[in-house]
Amino acid sequence: MLEIKPIFHALCRSKVGAILLLIQIAITTAIVSNAAFIIQDRISYLSQETGYPEQDIFVFNVMMFGKDVSPSQQYELDEAMLRQIPGVVDAAYSSNTPLSGSGSSSDFSLKPAPEESKSARSSYMFIDEHGINTYGVKLIAGRNYTEDEVIVTDNYDELSKVTVVTKTLLDELFPDGNGLGQTVYFGDIPMKVIGVVELMKGPWLKDSRPDNVALLPFIKPGTNARFVVRTEPGQRQSVMNRVEEAMLKNYNKRVISRIRGLDDDKESYMAEDTLMMRMLIVLITILVLVTALGIFGLTLFNISKRTKQIGTRRALGARKSAIISYFLVENAMICIVGLVIGVIAAVYLGQLLMQHFSIAQLDISYVLATALAVFVMSLLAVLAPAKRAANISPSIATRTI
Amino acid sequence: MFLHYLDLSWRSFKRTPLVSFLMVLAIAIGIGVTMTSLSVYHMMSADPIPEKSSDLYTVQLQTMDEGRTWWTVDNMPLQLTYQDAVNLNQANAGGKRVTMVRTGFSVYLDSDKVKPFIGQARLTTPDFFDMFNLSFIYGGVWSAQQEADAAPVVVINKALNDKLFAGENPVGKMVYLDDASYEVIGVIDDWDITTKYYDLNNGAFNKTEQLFLPFSLMKARQLENWGNTNGWKHEKTNTFNDKLNSEMVWLQFWVELKTPAEKQAYQDFLMAYMQEQQKLGRFNREKLTATLRDVNEWMQYNNVVSEDNEILVGLSFMFLAVCLANILGLLLAKFLRRAPEVGVRRALGASKRQIFFQHIVEVAMLGFLGGIFGIILAQVGLLGVRQSYSYYQSLATMDLTMLLSAPVIAISTCVIAGLYPAWLVCKTNPAIYLKSQ
Repeated sequence: MLEIKPIFHALCRSKVGAILLLIQIAITTAIVSNAAFIIQDRISYLSQETGYPEQDIFVFNVMMFGKDVSPSQQYELDEAMLRQIPGVVDAAYSSNTPLSGSGSSSDFSLKPAPEESKSARSSYMFIDEHGINTYGVKLIAGRNYTEDEVIVTDNYDELSKVTVVTKTLLDELFPDGNGLGQTVYFGDIPMKVIGVVELMKGPWLKDSRPDNVALLPFIKPGTNARFVVRTEPGQRQSVMNRVEEAMLKNYNKRVISRIRGLDDDKESYMAEDTLMMRMLIVLITILVLVTALGIFGLTLFNISKRTKQIGTRRALGARKSAIISYFLVENAMICIVGLVIGVIAAVYLGQLLMQHFSIAQLDISYVLATALAVFVMSLLAVLAPAKRAANISPSIATRTI
Repeated sequence: MFLHYLDLSWRSFKRTPLVSFLMVLAIAIGIGVTMTSLSVYHMMSADPIPEKSSDLYTVQLQTMDEGRTWWTVDNMPLQLTYQDAVNLNQANAGGKRVTMVRTGFSVYLDSDKVKPFIGQARLTTPDFFDMFNLSFIYGGVWSAQQEADAAPVVVINKALNDKLFAGENPVGKMVYLDDASYEVIGVIDDWDITTKYYDLNNGAFNKTEQLFLPFSLMKARQLENWGNTNGWKHEKTNTFNDKLNSEMVWLQFWVELKTPAEKQAYQDFLMAYMQEQQKLGRFNREKLTATLRDVNEWMQYNNVVSEDNEILVGLSFMFLAVCLANILGLLLAKFLRRAPEVGVRRALGASKRQIFFQHIVEVAMLGFLGGIFGIILAQVGLLGVRQSYSYYQSLATMDLTMLLSAPVIAISTCVIAGLYPAWLVCKTNPAIYLKSQ
């Protein structure tokens, strides 16, 4: 009924056009499925949960050049002042900013260095007792540290005796789930785990362990400092606008710099991935359009070549629908062969990308979905020219012989 | 003849404007997409100092104990310890050499004209300027004596001079960095490198520093490192001196070696140095390794060109292949429809070769037009890249090489696509068409 055999023979007589179409479909399938896979990968990376109300948090740096005040006292005053600003929920000293791509990390072990023992690499932050509330993360077990437990010093020997860690870090060190209250070692310094935070991403989202974070109640006041502030929803911008002035009013021999939202920091850390995602989306959109246009153009050409033939068929009694189905079937045949080659090429390309780059194994469902989409697209591209062909008048056949 | 063919091509273009336009569009889109990703790739991988990139070497020493690992492919730390960086600089081996580290200051003047701001600085030994081909607008570099004395002097860049001193000669004037004053002794001209090859630690495409000061100031004034510090074992580093004596790596070291013989000699020197240090109890391992990498090798080793970009370049060339197939189809349609006309020309005495070349000229013209429109599309694409990622500001641009290669790629793509249709059409047997006229 579908007249596959005669269509196939007709195709064999004009191989080049069919082969060109086939190549386009194959390459398109290979590119689109791999690009779609990478895009999906980036989207889930870009939209991951970080544990912070990023929209309400901002961070800024302070660099003191005046020597007539003690930094530690000044920072205490600053914190108190920041918490007084209307719209501010809480503020804290923070040695580095999460999600920003810059921070510190170390091994946390079950025995003091240099003894060898089980250890887990984790980022860490020096932060006072306001840290958990300021970052808006959720304490799911244990307690926060108290003001008395926060050590303000110039000497690393006196590092804090307690720590609050993320659940992921604790589970890595104590897979049995009994980590709360145990002692972990930061180098050779023992620290008791007193609290567990549910989710709190570290500074490096691309790290192999982005969820390992330890909060240490320790402040080593230097000339450089960083403050983090959480505001009421919607108040952030107005607080950000006045923070520099307020800080300089407190003490003016210093520079307040890089006042930015936590989401801005995250955005610039992720900017390269955002760019890649956008470029790939543009690439596959144009690619699909170009391929569709190619199919469209080639079908039009085929029809114009076969005007007389179509007219003759119509004169001999073929229905309009038969003409349309002829072109649809012809296109579907080419398309299916192209798709088979395309699926193989897509898997091969995926393997190539996996070998040379840090890209995960291509999910076959992406290839199949793309193949289906390309198939539908090619049928749609053929439909309009085929309808036009069906409208060719039978009288054409009799006009010039 | 060529001009005549061009004329014929133009007539043919006008005769079938829609198909011709579609072809030019297909090429333009293909070229636009390819050139966008290729330009970024080109700028990322471009040699930042072509005149001497193969003479400048950075040194890596395997300082770690046996069995320790680093994240680099060859397990080598990326920077040097303070001890090694200073020893190598003081030793009498190799050509010009430089030890350096990144830092920063609050910058302000005695007057209230300029609000204090954060300045990016580099602490470096004096060969730096000569080694990296920097030229001075005013003044010059500090002397070896000043370096040894940790003299409070500073060289600033042009942009900072414009900001602080309105671009006038500032030599002899004072500038405050943190709580101390420093004498400005020189101003360097703009340093436009897209890749900050001499220190790839904190973003390969970041700007170069604004302030340059003697390296010895770091120890004398306990200035902090604003770059990366990495350790591989547990060490007590409570004081600044502890850090200087530790095995932590945080300094960059470059040496200029002009001939292979000099390079070999330096390699031998490094080996001898490591053996000597081994006697002092360091380098606790069996096999000693020292690596010299020149500028381009160093950039490659540090993966300056991002993976994403390589993938995009690959995909865009596949994209170009789709456009090529598309053009091929359209060309076939266009040329074959012209077979009767070709038949007449053949009958009138045109050789197959002439017909072939006429058609190749025609596709080359289409390619050229496509290339020109492609450049416009690529500019739009690059604008999009710059908007999306300001860090790529200086990378997402087309330099002359790229501008020239766009039409070249476009024309060659089209000629490749046109070979088969042109061959097909020049084979036309004139007799058939003459008969049916």
